[in-house]
Amino acid sequence: MSGHIHNTDDRRELQMARSMCWHCQSEMAGEYFCDRCVKVQPVSKDLDYFTCFGLPRRLALDPQTLETKFYELSRAFHPDFYQNKSDAEQTISLGNSAMLNTAYRTLRDPIQRAEYLLDLEAGSVKDIRTTPPADLFEEILELQDTLDEFRASDRASESASTLRTKLHADRATLEQRQRDMEAQLQQLFGRWDALQNRGETTEQARAERGRILKDMRDILSNRTYVKNIVNDLVATIA
Amino acid sequence: MAYSEKVVDHFNNPRNMGSFKKEEDGVGTGIVGAPECGDVMKLQIKVENDTIVDAKFKTFGCGSAIASSSLATEWLKGKTVEEAGKIKNTDIVQELNLPPVKIHCSVLAEDAIKAALADYQKKADSK
Repeated sequence: MSGHIHNTDDRRELQMARSMCWHCQSEMAGEYFCDRCVKVQPVSKDLDYFTCFGLPRRLALDPQTLETKFYELSRAFHPDFYQNKSDAEQTISLGNSAMLNTAYRTLRDPIQRAEYLLDLEAGSVKDIRTTPPADLFEEILELQDTLDEFRASDRASESASTLRTKLHADRATLEQRQRDMEAQLQQLFGRWDALQNRGETTEQARAERGRILKDMRDILSNRTYVKNIVNDLVATIA
Repeated sequence: MAYSEKVVDHFNNPRNMGSFKKEEDGVGTGIVGAPECGDVMKLQIKVENDTIVDAKFKTFGCGSAIASSSLATEWLKGKTVEEAGKIKNTDIVQELNLPPVKIHCSVLAEDAIKAALADYQKKADSK
């Protein structure tokens, strides 16, 4: 199957098909609707979520702009408005709506947005792999042991109360660390956007891109580990 | 999606849960994590005369991750260090019938074995 995609003729054909209305075959200039026959067009699977909303691939994103565009497109694609249309149009409306919902949910949340960007950029940077945070692992294992100890203890006892105090303090520390990581992430968002805005293609800019993506990857991973242990802590001492 | 019977069995009756003292002679420790889901796995081996005489694990994560590491410790016992290095995540996937979304759990177990073996080797070499 991949042989087909790599075939240049096929690819050209695919591109042509995409810029052509599926219904009247006229050339497409509009975004999601044919200018001539006004039929809804399927959102291409190759379209990334940013482009889908007409947004540049940046991490700082105005939620209001996103929401407005989301409502606008939701109305345009909503299956309710296609009940009296052809089967083909109903299918497109359904597919587009599903894609739109996923795209909106992903971009709305800064963490998911960053994860998504990393997925998109994964091909452009050699290897966005995380460095295993050995110290954090040690800390988590130790905390889990304390949690086990607390779970097994008689809650009314003196030792349980000491443990509980310790766990509460640990929780506060970890939650502060979560906030710190989110602040770091915001900072990286800014650096990424600035770099993209400059649009440089130098070796230096490429290296900087790679560094930012790698740092984002590491923070996002560490954030997941910390989030898990915080959840365990909260569930146990609540 | 339901867990396979084998996963449930390992989850309910985990084999070899616990830990050895890291500093102990012949003990190799591997601690790894899965950044996608935040699971953390610790796997330890105890080696005597090039053979793994005991293995222990502690895993904080989903049922599949726990089952994968539990199974790994069972397999490790009695193997030579060289044989242990040949355990592949695909063997674990097959034995536990892991669905595609849980394959990373078996990868985690393989990584943990490799890390434990490397740690053991490092300790042995530095002596």
